[in-house]
Amino acid sequence: MANPRDEILDWVEQGRLAPQNLRRALDAAAVLPSTDQWRRFLDRLLAFMGVVLLAAGVIFFFAYNWNELGRFAKFGLVEAPILVTLVFVWRLGLGGIAGKAALLLAALLTGALLALVGQTYQTGADTFELFALWAAAILPWALLARFPAFWVLWLALANLALALYFLTFGLLFGMLFAPAKLLWLLFALDTAALVLWEALAASGIEWLRERWSLRILATASGAMATALAMSDVLGWRDSGGWGALAWLAWLAAAYAVYRRRIKDVYVLAGGVLSIVVVITTLLARHIRLHDAGSFLFIGLVVIGLSAAGGWWLTNVANEEERS
Amino acid sequence: MNSMTREALWERLRDGALVEGALPERGEARSPWFVRAMLGFSGWIGALFLFMFVGAFFTFAMENAFAAIGIGAGACAAAALLFRSGRKGDFSAQFAFAVSLAGQGLMLYGLGKWFGKEIWLTALAMAAVQAALFALVPNFLHRVWAAWTGAAALAFVLSDLRLYTLAPPLVTAAFVWAWIREFDFGARAAQLRAAGYGLALASMQVTLMHGDLWVRWFVGRDSGPLGGWIGYWLGAALSAAVLVWAVLALLRREGVALGSGPGRIALAGAALLGLASLKASGVGPAAALLVVGYANGNRVLAGLGIVALLGYLSHYYYSLQATLLEKSAILAATGVALLVARAALHLWWPKQTEAGDA
Repeated sequence: MANPRDEILDWVEQGRLAPQNLRRALDAAAVLPSTDQWRRFLDRLLAFMGVVLLAAGVIFFFAYNWNELGRFAKFGLVEAPILVTLVFVWRLGLGGIAGKAALLLAALLTGALLALVGQTYQTGADTFELFALWAAAILPWALLARFPAFWVLWLALANLALALYFLTFGLLFGMLFAPAKLLWLLFALDTAALVLWEALAASGIEWLRERWSLRILATASGAMATALAMSDVLGWRDSGGWGALAWLAWLAAAYAVYRRRIKDVYVLAGGVLSIVVVITTLLARHIRLHDAGSFLFIGLVVIGLSAAGGWWLTNVANEEERS
Repeated sequence: MNSMTREALWERLRDGALVEGALPERGEARSPWFVRAMLGFSGWIGALFLFMFVGAFFTFAMENAFAAIGIGAGACAAAALLFRSGRKGDFSAQFAFAVSLAGQGLMLYGLGKWFGKEIWLTALAMAAVQAALFALVPNFLHRVWAAWTGAAALAFVLSDLRLYTLAPPLVTAAFVWAWIREFDFGARAAQLRAAGYGLALASMQVTLMHGDLWVRWFVGRDSGPLGGWIGYWLGAALSAAVLVWAVLALLRREGVALGSGPGRIALAGAALLGLASLKASGVGPAAALLVVGYANGNRVLAGLGIVALLGYLSHYYYSLQATLLEKSAILAATGVALLVARAALHLWWPKQTEAGDA
């Protein structure tokens, strides 16, 4: 399956297609959007941007007004939009994009509601409980909506909840010092989700086939595997080499699945990057770094590895098109 | 995205008398954008180690600004020669890329040492260096990098001169111009596209940081823009204007009449987002990225636009330019207005109109 846009642009560069004919060629190949496609695009764009901005506005509003409003006012102001949105969902139905977007909005607003509950009733709950509850609350909707973006949101919440459970420091900084258990749990969660999603997509559930959500998942799963390998290499925690093993297993599985069965070059590229990062870390850790030459060596290894990886990936990507 | 084969595509073009002769051989293998991104990122890591090597080996280069600039320039020249030598191997391309990055790093270090507090001079010099590299080095990834860092350097110049509110609209305007004209440049189109991607990245970066580019944090200068609130509003108005101009140019390119249903919707949307940009400056450029990307059939750009929008919203929460109340009002109002515009879309632009219908 060729990418028509790229092919046509190539042909111009090779001189086989006159530059003044480029536009007509693109039109003939239906590369550029038609009027109908534009309409659909603008329809979705306005819907999504409208929804996202509105939700953001609501969330900002509550961040601001925390202290001023009375209890009932607060709850009313959050619950009302949720109810209104749910009415929309009921009227619009979950078949079209509008209904799904509305349900997503309701899910986002639910988070605001839960935050409000926690704040108002001083339950003494930790932040992670907020995210865990939020994920649990919107799970039924996620199942109903059949919307990849919704599931990505849900998984993000699950990840956040887990991470916050284990961390006492701030989120990003604390990841470096995260206990090994957290890395393992996140790795397990993201990889299990990835496997499940791919399996379901392969077994014929159409709406799950959207590649980009899967790639986000694969990125999360791969990042956790890489983190596990790196924590082993750097020896910060005594995980006894299991992390590196898990990483190697992940690489092998990713190769088997994404090279042989499903052919998603993005995941393979992520794997190559992961290998480069881990090997660089390994070398940097074990080679004495006060020699100028050792820097040169590591630099050359990185370049060589990534070049080889890039060459291999390009071949894989192009061999798809030949088939 | 249709799923035509190359042969079918060529046939169709031949039927339209746009090409003649036999289907050309498959050209140089094309890498998907994420492979190139992976190569670019690894190139950075490699360059970092090369930079440390030079630093350790040529310690005098680290103490003497001229030596640093000289060696850096030499490294870039060597890399340019390696690229131009026509050797197509991936290793030499990666190696040259890393050497060039290390050279640029050295030059930046030397220039910074030399010019000291006058950051704008360093930034201006680096912009000139990047322009030269863009012209001289015939490698796509390298050109994207040169365009990105060159535009960012120019934005730094504006920042240091306290004109930072002008940076986002200017960079975004350049980006929009490059992509709208994408199909008009014939043989040099590849260069333009590299510049386009670089400018897209720069536009995202500059907008996310409100044109400050951390200069204020970095240098510790806490002054507002030149001209005070006039500066703010000028920048904001320019951002809005750029978005409306982008839509106008697109409509003109596609041959859509401004008074037609589609034309009105497009302009209404642009005006709305432009208004929002007055207070939430990132919304316009992110939308421009998305729309221009879609208009050119370029999924990568469109995806970048979505990422930019979400990133900007997260950043907006913490920005100190307005109270949370104002921000929430702006966002909510814009959201509602967009949904109203969508209703107008269904009204003014019913499905299944013929193309070009007024």
